[in-house]
Amino acid sequence: MSEIKKIKNLKEFSTSADRFEGANLLCPGCAHSIIVREVLNATNDDLILAASTGCLEVCTAVYPYTSWDASWIHIGFENGSTAVAGAEAMYKALKTKGRLKQPERTPKFVAFGGDGASYDIGFQWISGCMERNHDMMYIVLDNEVYANTGGQRSSSTPIGSSATTTPAGSISYGETKNKKDMMGIMAAHHIPYAAQVSPNKWKDMVKKIQKGFATEGAVFINAVSPCTTEWKFDPKNTMHLADLATDSLVFPLYEVIDGREYNITYRPKNIIPVEEYLAAQGRFKHLFKDEYKYLIKEWQERVDANWAYLQRREEAKV
Amino acid sequence: MANTGWDEFEIGAMLRTFDGGIDDIAGTKQEDRSYTQNSSYTASVADWRLVKPVYNKDYCIDCQFCWVYCPDVSIISRDKKMIGVDMDHCKGCGICVEVCPTNPKSLLMFSEQADEETEIASWPSKDKGEE
Amino acid sequence: MAFDKMELNDIEVWDGNYAAAQALRQAQVDVVSAYPITPSTPIVEGYAKFKSDNFVEGEFVMVESEHAAMSGCIGAAAAGGRVATATSSQGLALMAETLYQASGMRLPIVLNLVNRALAAPLNVNGDHSDMYMVRDSGWIQFDAYCPQEAYDLNFIAFKVSEDHDVRIPAIVNQDGFMTSHTAQGVHTMDDDTAFGFVGVYKPMNDMLDFEHPVTHGVQTEEDWHFEHKARQHNDMMSIVPGKIDEAFAEFEKLTGRKYNHVESYDMDDADVAVVCMGTSVETAREVAKEMREKGVKAGVVGIRVVRPFPFMAVAEALKDVKAVAALDRSAPGGAAGMLFNEIAGALFNTDTKLLLSGYIYGLGGRDLTKAHLVELYNELQANADAGKLLTQQQQFIGVRGPKLAYL
Repeated sequence: MSEIKKIKNLKEFSTSADRFEGANLLCPGCAHSIIVREVLNATNDDLILAASTGCLEVCTAVYPYTSWDASWIHIGFENGSTAVAGAEAMYKALKTKGRLKQPERTPKFVAFGGDGASYDIGFQWISGCMERNHDMMYIVLDNEVYANTGGQRSSSTPIGSSATTTPAGSISYGETKNKKDMMGIMAAHHIPYAAQVSPNKWKDMVKKIQKGFATEGAVFINAVSPCTTEWKFDPKNTMHLADLATDSLVFPLYEVIDGREYNITYRPKNIIPVEEYLAAQGRFKHLFKDEYKYLIKEWQERVDANWAYLQRREEAKV
Repeated sequence: MANTGWDEFEIGAMLRTFDGGIDDIAGTKQEDRSYTQNSSYTASVADWRLVKPVYNKDYCIDCQFCWVYCPDVSIISRDKKMIGVDMDHCKGCGICVEVCPTNPKSLLMFSEQADEETEIASWPSKDKGEE
Repeated sequence: MAFDKMELNDIEVWDGNYAAAQALRQAQVDVVSAYPITPSTPIVEGYAKFKSDNFVEGEFVMVESEHAAMSGCIGAAAAGGRVATATSSQGLALMAETLYQASGMRLPIVLNLVNRALAAPLNVNGDHSDMYMVRDSGWIQFDAYCPQEAYDLNFIAFKVSEDHDVRIPAIVNQDGFMTSHTAQGVHTMDDDTAFGFVGVYKPMNDMLDFEHPVTHGVQTEEDWHFEHKARQHNDMMSIVPGKIDEAFAEFEKLTGRKYNHVESYDMDDADVAVVCMGTSVETAREVAKEMREKGVKAGVVGIRVVRPFPFMAVAEALKDVKAVAALDRSAPGGAAGMLFNEIAGALFNTDTKLLLSGYIYGLGGRDLTKAHLVELYNELQANADAGKLLTQQQQFIGVRGPKLAYL
């Protein structure tokens, strides 16, 4: 196995030579590329990358331009995971057969997909890759909506969010279904490593990505990706939204080892009310009408219950 | 490549990032890489910007928050020092200003037409209210 | 750990599936990414067993759907090595999206397509609906009529598909059950000879070359897409036929077995001919011989290379014939059959005055009997004698109920 890149602090991290380029077509203030940079810069090893169709893909490989400085492949909406699994299988085959051009290298295989590509259309493909335990990492850029196609609800869209296919209106508060517990589902595959990350907590992110890279077998990462366009906030506030997400515990940061051992990796000193997280986003604006305020209360209860659950799981140490 | 015909490009719409081989990409800074015209590094999104960040190194503590949180690889840091903003790739989102912890901030947003030297000369002083 | 070689008899009794599996073994495929479906399953089971018994060193990835099977093949091919899989019918339908992606990305992959009807109603038996469904997918398509050809054409498919001037994926068709599960004598090559024919895989634009990163699978909109698709078609039309010729010639030199884009049987002086594919070619050949004993100058034309369609060779094969039947083993869904259309297209601007009629037959594995073909040749002879079509242009063979005829 290769050496883990030393990243003691942010100054040291900033000496990284990015393998992702600007002048891509992502929106100003998009969190996707912040996450991608933190992931790619977490290692000096070679990378074999894939992306499922979505914002990241359509904005970074529009002919005749590519924003990728490592080999990268896109096939379709549902199969970024399997694309990289196929490449990983070929790597293993050529290694066995002694046909690798640079046999001393220790490449890392990473696939990115949005929540639409991961929670919905590519769900089965990811499940297959995790179950087969390919030596790869799958990363969801979770912005809780089909942003690339203009804001339709996905199974990651939370209750009360106004999406274009579940719009808030005179008799509707928007999305009525709970967000799918993808971390729980992936953990249930008993893969060696699964983690939830957020780009504001870069050190937590880098630590988990490095842990994932050092893991032999399938790794699942769910990364919260505040979406300026669909969550409806000023692009300059992307990191503020990520702070609200982690510190309100709407997106708790934790890891699951072998599907059983839960570790909470970040405990906010001051837990922010969920209401503040919701209030910062246009997609929840209607919840602040009198008739929907009960939903905000329910939101808080749900987040509290989930936090209590995670803590119990962590304490259980099983 | 704007007017190339069907017989003038790589099959499969495959793109190469670099001219020739590159041994250690993760150990080679952007300025030392030989990008092809197909890398978006060679393109510019400067015309997306309505407002731009201006960097005032007098207050910068090289904390690198702007570097890590820039979505567009536009904060140029070398040897742990912030050098400046890559104005070809900056889209003017303003995240760098928001995450800058100094007082006064070392990065501020101004209109795209603003003159950098003038703005630095009239940089706001320490904001006591934020202490 | 080195893999073991397998001693084969000069002639083995193999069905089409096992013949294809043996070809994948001898080609030493690097990655097989596959999902089981009747009747193609024994091909990938065969590869898996060869791996378990140390006869291959490649990776066998048993995925969770056919879509994922081809997705894995694409990722593996882009990484840079020899890739193959097998499927049939519904499986092909599920992977259809990725077939266009594989060809558009110019990745060499060999797909053994064991032809089976498409539901509904559900049916596991052989017809050519699956082959027809992906005829515009940009894949090279070969058609094997028997286990021997299923074996041989796999090697030819790898050779052509992986050629750096080609880099287009290839399908090897064989009839479900009639070929795939029917054991016949197959002339084998020894392992070294077989591997020598396809050679060591030569990577191109490979993702695993870490010093030359590549981006595969970009987006092209109205300003680029047309040029890329035009390039794909051009290479299929201009480069692939010549490469297939070369591969056929080299294979003949090696084995003595000769293949042609269009196979002609008893066609030198034929007045009437049927054009068909798959196992029907062999049935028709037998009937043509019998018809000749009865004084009907009957011939058979088999399409060996379905894509790129051999328009010129078809026109040449049929130029002196008086009446021709195009036999399509796929429900035409409100149009003439594919072979009828392609043959009509091949002949339209030529001097021939031949009479062309189309027949839909054998759907869902319904037998095409010798009696059917005798009747068909008699119809063709009657057309030829009358100098005009005495039937409608499209008829159905072997279906119960009132006669079906259209156009």
